[in-house]
Amino acid sequence: MSYNTLFRSLSFLLVLGLVFTACTDLEVEEVESVVIEDEAGGFSGDAGALLETAYNQLGALTAQQNTYSLLVHTSDEMIPPTRGTDWGDNGVWRLLHSHNWDPTHQYILDAWNELNSRVFTTNQVLASTNPAPNPQQTAEAKFLRAFYMWHVMDLYGQVPFREVNEGVDVDPRVLTRAEAFDFIVRDLEEALPDLPTAGPSATNDRASQAAANALLARLYLNRGVYNATVNEQGALSPTFDQADMTRVIEHADAVIADGYTLEENYYNNFSTNAQSELILVNAEGAGDAETRFYMTLHYDHNPSGWNGFATLADFYAKFEDGDVRKGVAATPDGSDFSGIGRGFLVGQQFNDNGEPITNSRSNSPLVYEPDVPLIGADTDDGYRAIKYHPEDKGRYVQLRYGDVHLMKAEALLRNGQNAEALAMVNELRAVRGASPLASLDEASMLDERGRELYWEGTRRIDQIRFGTFADTWAEKTTTDPFRIIYPIPQQAIDSNPNLEQNPGY
Amino acid sequence: MRIFTQFAYVMFMATAVLWSGTALAQEKTVSGTVTSDAEGPLPGVNVLVKGTSSGTVTDLDGNYRLTIPEGNNTLVFSSIGYANQEVEVGSQTTIDIVMAEDVQALSEVVVIGYGTQEARDATGAVASVKAEDFNGGVIASPEQLIQGKAAGVQITQSSGEPGAGINIRIRGTSSVRSGNNPLFVVDGVPLAGDDVSGGGADTGFGTSSARNPLNFINPQDIASIDVLKDASATAIYGSRGANGVVIITTKTGKSGESKLNYSGNIGVSNITKKYDLLNASEFVDAYAQVNGLSAGDPALQTLDLGSDTDWQDEIFRTAISQNHNLSYSGGNENGQYRLSLGYTDQEGIVERSSLRRLTARFNGSSSFLNDRLNVTTQVTISDIRDSFAPISDNAGATGDLLGMALKLNPTYPVRNPDGTLFQRSVTEASPVAFLELGQDNANTVRALGNITFDLSITDDLSFKTILGGDRSASSRSAAYSGDLLIQGIEEQGRAAFSDITTINTLMENYFNYNKELSSNVRMEAVLGYSYQRFQRETSNIQAAGFRSTDIDVMLNNLAAVDLTTGNGAIIGNSTSRVDELQSFFGRVNFDISDKYLLTATLRADGSTRFGDNNKYGVFPAFAGAWRLSDEAFVPDGLTDLKLRAGYGVTGNQEIPSNLYTNRQRYSFDDNNVSNGLNVSPTGVTINNGALSNVAFANPDLQWESTTQINIGVDWGILNNRLRGSIDYYRKNTNDLLFQVFSAQPAPQEFFWENLDADVINEGVEVTLNANIADSETFAWDISANAAYNDNRVENFDGLINTGSISGQGLSGAFAQRIADGQPLFAYFLRPFSGFDDAGQSIYPQGDVQQFVGRAPLPKWNLGVTNNFYIGNFDLSVFFAGQLGQYVYNNTQNAFFTAGALAGGNNVTQDVVGNGESRGNAPEVSTRFLEDASFVRLQNFTLGYNFDTDGIEFLSSLRLYLTGQNLFVITNYNGQDPEVNINKAIDNIPSFGIDYTPFPQARTFLLGLNVSF
Repeated sequence: MSYNTLFRSLSFLLVLGLVFTACTDLEVEEVESVVIEDEAGGFSGDAGALLETAYNQLGALTAQQNTYSLLVHTSDEMIPPTRGTDWGDNGVWRLLHSHNWDPTHQYILDAWNELNSRVFTTNQVLASTNPAPNPQQTAEAKFLRAFYMWHVMDLYGQVPFREVNEGVDVDPRVLTRAEAFDFIVRDLEEALPDLPTAGPSATNDRASQAAANALLARLYLNRGVYNATVNEQGALSPTFDQADMTRVIEHADAVIADGYTLEENYYNNFSTNAQSELILVNAEGAGDAETRFYMTLHYDHNPSGWNGFATLADFYAKFEDGDVRKGVAATPDGSDFSGIGRGFLVGQQFNDNGEPITNSRSNSPLVYEPDVPLIGADTDDGYRAIKYHPEDKGRYVQLRYGDVHLMKAEALLRNGQNAEALAMVNELRAVRGASPLASLDEASMLDERGRELYWEGTRRIDQIRFGTFADTWAEKTTTDPFRIIYPIPQQAIDSNPNLEQNPGY
Repeated sequence: MRIFTQFAYVMFMATAVLWSGTALAQEKTVSGTVTSDAEGPLPGVNVLVKGTSSGTVTDLDGNYRLTIPEGNNTLVFSSIGYANQEVEVGSQTTIDIVMAEDVQALSEVVVIGYGTQEARDATGAVASVKAEDFNGGVIASPEQLIQGKAAGVQITQSSGEPGAGINIRIRGTSSVRSGNNPLFVVDGVPLAGDDVSGGGADTGFGTSSARNPLNFINPQDIASIDVLKDASATAIYGSRGANGVVIITTKTGKSGESKLNYSGNIGVSNITKKYDLLNASEFVDAYAQVNGLSAGDPALQTLDLGSDTDWQDEIFRTAISQNHNLSYSGGNENGQYRLSLGYTDQEGIVERSSLRRLTARFNGSSSFLNDRLNVTTQVTISDIRDSFAPISDNAGATGDLLGMALKLNPTYPVRNPDGTLFQRSVTEASPVAFLELGQDNANTVRALGNITFDLSITDDLSFKTILGGDRSASSRSAAYSGDLLIQGIEEQGRAAFSDITTINTLMENYFNYNKELSSNVRMEAVLGYSYQRFQRETSNIQAAGFRSTDIDVMLNNLAAVDLTTGNGAIIGNSTSRVDELQSFFGRVNFDISDKYLLTATLRADGSTRFGDNNKYGVFPAFAGAWRLSDEAFVPDGLTDLKLRAGYGVTGNQEIPSNLYTNRQRYSFDDNNVSNGLNVSPTGVTINNGALSNVAFANPDLQWESTTQINIGVDWGILNNRLRGSIDYYRKNTNDLLFQVFSAQPAPQEFFWENLDADVINEGVEVTLNANIADSETFAWDISANAAYNDNRVENFDGLINTGSISGQGLSGAFAQRIADGQPLFAYFLRPFSGFDDAGQSIYPQGDVQQFVGRAPLPKWNLGVTNNFYIGNFDLSVFFAGQLGQYVYNNTQNAFFTAGALAGGNNVTQDVVGNGESRGNAPEVSTRFLEDASFVRLQNFTLGYNFDTDGIEFLSSLRLYLTGQNLFVITNYNGQDPEVNINKAIDNIPSFGIDYTPFPQARTFLLGLNVSF
């Protein structure tokens, strides 16, 4: 062999060796995430970890936008004024208050995504195999699924459903409002036996029988609304079946049987001192209730707020003096946040040392005024509401007994048991420092719910049930009855052909 | 001071050189004939005595005769189209010269993938920019070197920040996500496209983009930058070629010359344009007027604290930059080397912002086995220290540093009488306090190296192996003291730390086969295999609620966080990703009779980024060229005429890794609260970590592909003194990799899909080079380029919003929409026609957003360079321009309105009396959309080359003065029309939105270049 031939042969061998040793199968080990596919490509989640996720996801409801905004801004208890340039936000808030939203509204989309993705998480808990959920975990997941799905059904009137193994190419099937109602009730009833019983506690952050009963009471109370056909004229006078009202009373009684009573100090419900009313709250670290005071406090308070939402003068007028829910003045003593009162903040505001606050925007004294326009508002227009207080804010409340108490009273009223209903309402009013009512009718029942539950997210549902949602109020002149349900977001319709737009949109 | 010493020394030497040149002595006579192989005797050749102005020209028979002074011993022969020759006279009296055609002038070498080619043989659209044509001035990264120099290559620096990120768009924008930059290949090593240093974490005032990952390359080490534009050129890079390929080649040593080179410069920068804000008294008057207050109203006394502060002056500065480079190089026929060291210290014109870089590079090559094996190696190590001013892309109501400086009441003092910082309230934060009570620094160390073995197996066949490694480690840390009165920071203090490590490796093996198949057919072929592995690890820590307000303690003693419940928190996260890319490629070129050139390319890429059903993609390309000037029927006046045509398919894979396996990760941020930390004066809490879904099962996910045709003509007349090219192209990108909405209920809000839509970019590029004068004493070159691009989206049935607009009262606002039939990022706004009697905005077509027929992508990109050489002086003037684009002025929208003024914020002069009511909400509308066409005097350099003939130890010496960004001609009202802040929504990028960018600077620079 000549030198050249040898050289060439060796070169070729070397080259071939390099080429063939180099090839890869392009399989990379996943080291930073948990793969939730089993060998066959099916779903294999960890039920316990996913259940934690499903609970934590309640945190989203503490934000001031998205789901919460759909629950409160379209009712007559709150207004989101555009103050000069502040809170213009491309009109999203004004459209909600004035009932002019359409299917492209950002928060209608965001809430849809937020709530439905949470339904999916609970589905993943239920379908987990590694390990599979135990009976209590199954019950908790079903409760949470019912809770999230109830919001979807209540807000949008249709509920899409996707199995955990369905990939991107599958269009989720859609449940009608009635089908969804039955689905939710079935989940709750199946969950009840396996849920733990739990008495009232400031830290009730897991599903309990009381929570399932409270949610069932809410569902049956509103069944007349959910069963009514919605068309462009809206829900035509919902009828409230006596049997449903009886169920409301039974489920409320079940809550009472677990030891829930009215809180002596109303504002304790929203503090770390809560004792007797709280049925379900967010876990520590699942969102933060501080959003509720930031979204309303003026910039020049301590703490400095975002100077956003206020109540309407007509709503404030529903309260009588002496009712602690109307407001408790601050007692400034120099300690942090002691300048801020509880309930509604009205008139001149004071700092932690009791000195009047100057509004740094207008360079005039900070005096909250009752009237507030939707656009062009001054920075001190509108009364503010403080339930969670910076000094002692508690966990964010999802379900509490005060609501259950009034649901039972309302069911009694709707079943013709006026005296019993009045007694329950007056029992509550006495604890809240308000004078007893002489009689009770639908209007005064709705007002009482408003006074007890303002800014807690039930007002829209209540107004729809009592038929006042299409009325007019300050800065709201649109009276479209079909707006009792929101449109399906345009993007959702585009991505799932099984969805049909709601009437009127 | 050191600079001055150096300068004085150089001036002294220069003077000495000039003096030495005057020492004249006796004369002698030399004669001879000048010929060329092709043409025989050459008339009109310049013959000059080097270093003097005495010379002559050859006659019709190529003869010359010249008397030269003794001591001046060198003759220079020059003629257009031929290489200059220098001859030592010595004792000769007859010197005959054979001139060689100057291949450099006729046909420069261009670097293409896996090889080089003479431009005259190129079939694709390739722009090559050599070091001598690079942009001068303060240059932080390689892309800036060729800004405006190559037709169809749009380079936009996102802001004036030193080392800021840069957008490069070659032949338009074709993707609708972040992966729109071209592939960068440095000395044969394709780089990963992602950032190597951390972006600014959100510590309460928005996030900011990372700096340019290419800052690690010292621009002084670059010999040439070649841009592969059309598919026939980029197809050899297959799945990564769709956005074009930029090939960076570094300087190497040369045989026979041992060289020591120092180059350095010092620059001074100032802001080009401040906002025309109200001064204190104007502000008080305007506030009274807009709020309807009469003089003496108590509100005005509360408003006016009596100072007159220009907050812009408080945060801007005159920035000093310096840059030093030392290199030595040399070699012989068996090996060459070059070693260089570089140091750059570039201050930003905003206080506290700077970039300091230390680089070392070694290039070497050596031959073994009787020259059959050639080993070359290139290594760069760089150490970059970045300091950041607190400027973010998306600050909300509080604003970032610039926002604060724009809006803060000018009657406020900077400091209290006792010298402490004046801080009014959290909603009126002081920018000076923000600067002094915070720190944000990053350090990135990056090493890139490769070793290449080139083995000649036979005379025709060679085999090449490249082993490359690219490793970087970066850490960024920022802290803001609890003494700062800013919402989310006050009382608590915040800190953020992030580390990014990337380890990328490359192995490539390929054969080269060059063969004369017959007397007039030559073949060149490449066949190879490439494997690249990209590893990326990140970690970050966020902390709030410190026991100390001392920045140093916060940064360097993290345990200072008060971890008692509710008072403070530390959270963090980490990631680790590996991606692989495996490719097989081949290319064959045929050259038939030196007239017909054919190229065919094929690359198959397999990537771990795609699902099992589509791991591999195949990318073919074909091109041909016809050198008409070599045909007999083409008149001789046409020195050069070549027709080119090409077609090819290239891909894009720049999406996050593994989006196809159903998987989950723990995450803190599920509740619309950034980073999972809730920081308020009441305390610090964290969101619970929870499992969240990362990806759906998505096995069909695959490449985005771009089909491109290109037709071009290269021409030259008058011996190529006037030459140019024209290219037409049409790019169609389909199977767009796109984030689309999941049909709920779903594990994620979005998933990635190959969208069945087309993004079309169609355009024409023209380049022109003219050599107007070329004598020993005066030369004038013009090179110009212009590119027109038309962009539109077709066959798309969705609507996607992007371009988020930030500011007080602008949450959720957006300005751009991607839709069928529109250009990408088309503006979607309310048409605005003025204010009504009540001072409210009039939207004649309703309070709804709609397409307004405007887009942010420029229609025209222009660049014109004039180079003059007058004796030893040279002068270069470079204008760049972009025409036809619109910029949305989010800065004005957020800060300069009557409502802002009424709320006690400062505004620009034009807001006063503009008819707007204080209660008007400035919604996103055409009111804030502006024509941003501009022409800029980008670069002006005057240099002087000293005569160094008499000095043995000195081979060249050059002094120059450069002005950068001297003026801009534009109607745009903002700080600068060339701006692009990242305003993505849901990862869909935006383009052309101005929101408190780091301002652009005007720079003057004095530089020195000396070789020994």
